[in-house]
Amino acid sequence: MTRVASEALLEQDLASMKPLQGSLLEGRSLKSRIYTGITWGLAILASLPLFSVLYMLIAKGGARINWETLTALPPAAFEFGGGIGPAIVGTAIMVGIGSAISIPIGILAAIYLAEVAPHSKLAETARFLAKVLTGFPSILAGVFVYAVLVVSMKTYSAWAGGIALAVLMLPTIILTAEETLKQVPQKMKDAAYGMGCTRAQVVAAVTLPTGLPGVITGVLLAVAGAAGESAPLLFTALFSTYYVNGLEGLGQPTASLSILIYNFSGMPYDNQIELAWAASLVLVLIILVFNILARVLGRQKF
Amino acid sequence: MVFANVARSTLAACTLSALAFAPLASADEIQLNGSGASFPFPLYAKWAKDFSRKHKGIQLQYQAVGSGAGIRAFLAETVDFAASDAAMNDEEIAKVPTDKGVVLLPMTAGEVVLSYNLPGNPELKLPRDVMQDIFLGKLTTWRDERLQQANPGIDFPDDDITVVRRSDSSGTTYVFTGHLACASDEFKQEVGHGKSVNWPKSFVGAPKNDGVAAMIKQTPGAIGYIEYGYAEATGQPMASLQNKAGEFVKPGEASGQAALASAEFPSGDLPGYAGTPDLRVWVCDPTGEAAYPIATFTWMLMYQHQDEEKAQVLREFIEYGLNKGQKDAPKMGYIPLPENVKAKVEDALKLVGDSK
Repeated sequence: MTRVASEALLEQDLASMKPLQGSLLEGRSLKSRIYTGITWGLAILASLPLFSVLYMLIAKGGARINWETLTALPPAAFEFGGGIGPAIVGTAIMVGIGSAISIPIGILAAIYLAEVAPHSKLAETARFLAKVLTGFPSILAGVFVYAVLVVSMKTYSAWAGGIALAVLMLPTIILTAEETLKQVPQKMKDAAYGMGCTRAQVVAAVTLPTGLPGVITGVLLAVAGAAGESAPLLFTALFSTYYVNGLEGLGQPTASLSILIYNFSGMPYDNQIELAWAASLVLVLIILVFNILARVLGRQKF
Repeated sequence: MVFANVARSTLAACTLSALAFAPLASADEIQLNGSGASFPFPLYAKWAKDFSRKHKGIQLQYQAVGSGAGIRAFLAETVDFAASDAAMNDEEIAKVPTDKGVVLLPMTAGEVVLSYNLPGNPELKLPRDVMQDIFLGKLTTWRDERLQQANPGIDFPDDDITVVRRSDSSGTTYVFTGHLACASDEFKQEVGHGKSVNWPKSFVGAPKNDGVAAMIKQTPGAIGYIEYGYAEATGQPMASLQNKAGEFVKPGEASGQAALASAEFPSGDLPGYAGTPDLRVWVCDPTGEAAYPIATFTWMLMYQHQDEEKAQVLREFIEYGLNKGQKDAPKMGYIPLPENVKAKVEDALKLVGDSK
């Protein structure tokens, strides 16, 4: 075939393709546009509840966000003012206790599952149990801790609440940490072993630092989830209208944002209902911050 | 050692956050916790707050968890006192640890009202038999001759009656079904008397007072039972009910006190406790002409034997509730205790004391 002939053919091809370009009504193009449109529509529909909830919270709770609301004690009926201070502190302390228990245990378990003996009987069982625990109804975590701790200690306490939260945080941390630790390239670990590192050194100096962004993401998601839990706190921490009273106070009933919302939203008094809205807004903002942090810190890829 | 750093900083953060709030209160404070019935919660919570404010070094509080949960907490000794709308039955009293002991004190009283959704929300008068038929599920339309006769001024809509009931286990249900079971044998057999009962299938369930109130508001032709205090604070329409004497009576402080006046306390002692008065009494169908038919006391549960320091605070708290606290009752929709009941409670209060 001569060069001229092939060019002629090419031109012919181009000419026959031309009508395709920019034709909105051509079959495939039209379909594509319709499906894109539907996808967008559904995406907007799916995010509608989130934004309507946020809008409601800001509209109804935003006006009450001030220093008094954030620090004062909850009001009694027919009292004006008051705030949600003890609940914010209580939630922070109980999530803190939950984290202090579940983060070390969770990460150590993940190291065992991902690095030490991934295919052992113990690891298989532990992995299975952690997965079962993710679907564990949160109220049962509360009932479990109630039976073990509250009944034997004869008091509701921040400890019991924190431990119930730890039970719920644990599987999230174990499973996400295991996933990220498994993704650390074998080459890097082999290189470290090649240089004479022991397994403990490899885990501490290579695997964990490399997988850290993913581990932190898991931890922050678990923390965000725990902050919003109410069911496990109902029977373990109960509620309190006072601030946590020193270290001893951790052994007393403790306030939390979620229980405050639950209690106050059902009351017939406007003041309490407004505070429930304000508390909801504060809680959602706390959870949002943790979720965004998890996104940002988890973005760093190895 | 990044991992160690993370763990260390987490622990440090927790300790710090705990320590940061340590200076807010000194260690020698007495903290007393109660939990139980949600019905008297607003009142008890107010007493607790006002009482704690007046007494330096005392933090007393009450949490609403429901009557059943309150009794369980009392039996498990996880609280310093509890409260219940249904008092305690003999079986439960027998389960109280003997080294602790129990005394039941009526502290305030309340009414259960019927709220409804009719066009313009007219003042509804509900004859006894009509009310029983509605809650038996037998009467399903507002166009009823007996209703029309009792309410000549109301033009009833052609709506079906939607009965809204509590979906959760509730002291309010206990009191309401208590009245109906007293007034009608059929109700006692078909539906029963308890915190959750065998309601007809056609009824709509909603959780807590606010759930029932919201459901009534949204459903034209709905009727349901809620606490008087809740209905009063939120401005729900309330029906006048026909009492045993045949009079139509509006819920309120006076009609509630008239109902409680007919209460006759049992003469015996609390089962298993010689010398402890039995202050459990129900006025399921009061006979007085001015009496509102559905009224009840609600009880605090106290240990007879405990730490003397705590016992003293609890006695002072009850004294406060009996005297100053009763003045808070009417404006919050509760009925103040009649004088004779107050005297009985003051007598029984002496039993709250030192460990054995």
